[in-house]
Amino acid sequence: MKFMENFKKGTPLLILALLMICPFVFSSPYLLHIFILIFIWSYVTTVWSYMGRFGIISLGHGAFFGIGVYTTALLFNLYNVSPWLGMLAGGLAAATIAVILGYSCFKFGVIGHYFAIATLVLAEIITLVIIALRDTLETGGKLGLTVRSLGTSPLFFQFENKLIFYYLTLALLGLALLIWKKIDDSKVQRALKAVGEDEEAALSLGIDVVKYKTTMFAVSAFMTALGGTAYIQFTMFADPTTCTGVGLSLGIVFKAIIGGMFTLWGPTIGSALIVVLEEYTRLALGSAFVSYSQIIYGLLIIILIRFLPGGLYGTFSDLFRQKRKREVQVLLSGRQAADPYK
Amino acid sequence: MLILNAVINGLLFGGVLALMAFGMNLMFGVVQIVHLAYGQFIMVGLYLVYLLTVLYHVPLLLSCVLAIIAIALLSVLCYYSVVKPLLKAPPINQLLALAGLWIVLENACLAFFGATYKGVQVVLPVLHVGEIYIAASNLIGFGVGLITLGLLYLFLNKTYTGVAIRAVAQDTEVSGVMGINSRTIYLITFVVGGALAGVTAACFVPVYAVHPHFGSAFTLLAFIIVILGGMGNLIGGFIGAFIIGVVTSIGSTLLNPEIGQIIALLICLLIIILRPQGLLGVRART
Repeated sequence: MKFMENFKKGTPLLILALLMICPFVFSSPYLLHIFILIFIWSYVTTVWSYMGRFGIISLGHGAFFGIGVYTTALLFNLYNVSPWLGMLAGGLAAATIAVILGYSCFKFGVIGHYFAIATLVLAEIITLVIIALRDTLETGGKLGLTVRSLGTSPLFFQFENKLIFYYLTLALLGLALLIWKKIDDSKVQRALKAVGEDEEAALSLGIDVVKYKTTMFAVSAFMTALGGTAYIQFTMFADPTTCTGVGLSLGIVFKAIIGGMFTLWGPTIGSALIVVLEEYTRLALGSAFVSYSQIIYGLLIIILIRFLPGGLYGTFSDLFRQKRKREVQVLLSGRQAADPYK
Repeated sequence: MLILNAVINGLLFGGVLALMAFGMNLMFGVVQIVHLAYGQFIMVGLYLVYLLTVLYHVPLLLSCVLAIIAIALLSVLCYYSVVKPLLKAPPINQLLALAGLWIVLENACLAFFGATYKGVQVVLPVLHVGEIYIAASNLIGFGVGLITLGLLYLFLNKTYTGVAIRAVAQDTEVSGVMGINSRTIYLITFVVGGALAGVTAACFVPVYAVHPHFGSAFTLLAFIIVILGGMGNLIGGFIGAFIIGVVTSIGSTLLNPEIGQIIALLICLLIIILRPQGLLGVRART
């Protein structure tokens, strides 16, 4: 038992160590590229799940991602502001919008799918604003925007070496997972869990529902925008359909759902799966058939929601857990067993 | 004069929008499901009309009728494959499964027809009364919209099936006690809703050229209208359609099309926050 416990605690560190060594084993730039994409999307999906796991489903995180992308890129392109500062500015802009929308929604009791729709509308508004500012702010509208390249310039968050992005995005993902753990141990987790289960009962217990939910929404939005900055500095190109809007928002939610949004590793596994699936179908079918990969992706989502509502990782870890619990119960039959998985 | 022009064209366009929103509203009211792939059904309808008239040289009106039938069948397929298994699932899962259908339909059209604009060349005159110019295509859409809505009104109020649909929308359990099979009613609702998407597509044929991302804008537009009028409130949706039609029309005439849409979306956001039951809705007692 002791060994198992140590093993369980050690697993994340082991995975981390393996991922740190990875680039030296496979030095192919293509694989690095895929890993970086997986890290960025896992990060964003994990951050989304901070809210999703408590039943606050946002369909507007594409908007926050887009705010991160465009704030950084425009500040740099137009005013030569370093993307490191732009990152902060984008995060704060996203958090401000989240506080305004979140506070007014939660204050007036907009929950469940009404909240989902409100955030969906926000995603569409941000996309339209970006398109409408095509000339006044040189966002490039639907054609997209390219970040001025400076070669390698650490002060301006530009690196030609992909390895730096690899470690940077890995660190971001690590941070997101760490904060997840911190939330788990805090009062916020218990308060929000109560809210997720029964909002009115939680309210009657004196939990400041509006404050907790708004805070969580703001944190989630802030961190999503940081992911947007990392993404634009990596790809150096943004357009409204891939970097913001309803499509992206839904993509984040799907990744979380497929992996299972209630578990620490679920969002990461879902994102890895989707990124690999998209890349694989693109390679196998050629980029002319990219829509076929999207069809498969859409069908997969329908099938998964229908048959595995807990997500892949969630469902399988539940099965695993139940099986082991039953074994323990047989062994300890007749005695009151302490829950070994707490 | 420019504004008057915009208002009149907006009102005419509102007739088609009312028809479009009516289908989504009916499904929400009866089946309690937010049909996120509704605009994609309209898109598929437009593609079918294009396929039949341009590639197979079927007369335009006949191909419109065939498209309406096909979309109604597609709607039935959607009911059996996606909606029925998830009737008891949490609303957010239903929403996301239909979003999956959205992706499938959009990319199926992209794979099949390519990313370019496809349209049927229909040349219709522009009428003018004094200084007011009205596109005949808008007038046809308005006329067809109002006639269809009138027929629907008769269907919902004068036939047994229609009354049963309204009964299920009011209270599924009690209507079950009255001997109404709610599953049959759900199926009929999806047929009617799909046919409405088909009719909307037929009205759009002379106005728009279709492309694979055509549907998403209209799903959202239908959504906004439904929210504006109150979900499941059919008369509210009717009024909401004209409001949105006029607002977007004025916005795009005076500023630019995006600003018009942004204003409509902001109105929708305000409604969700301040009056979630919609303009005409009554807050449900729990």
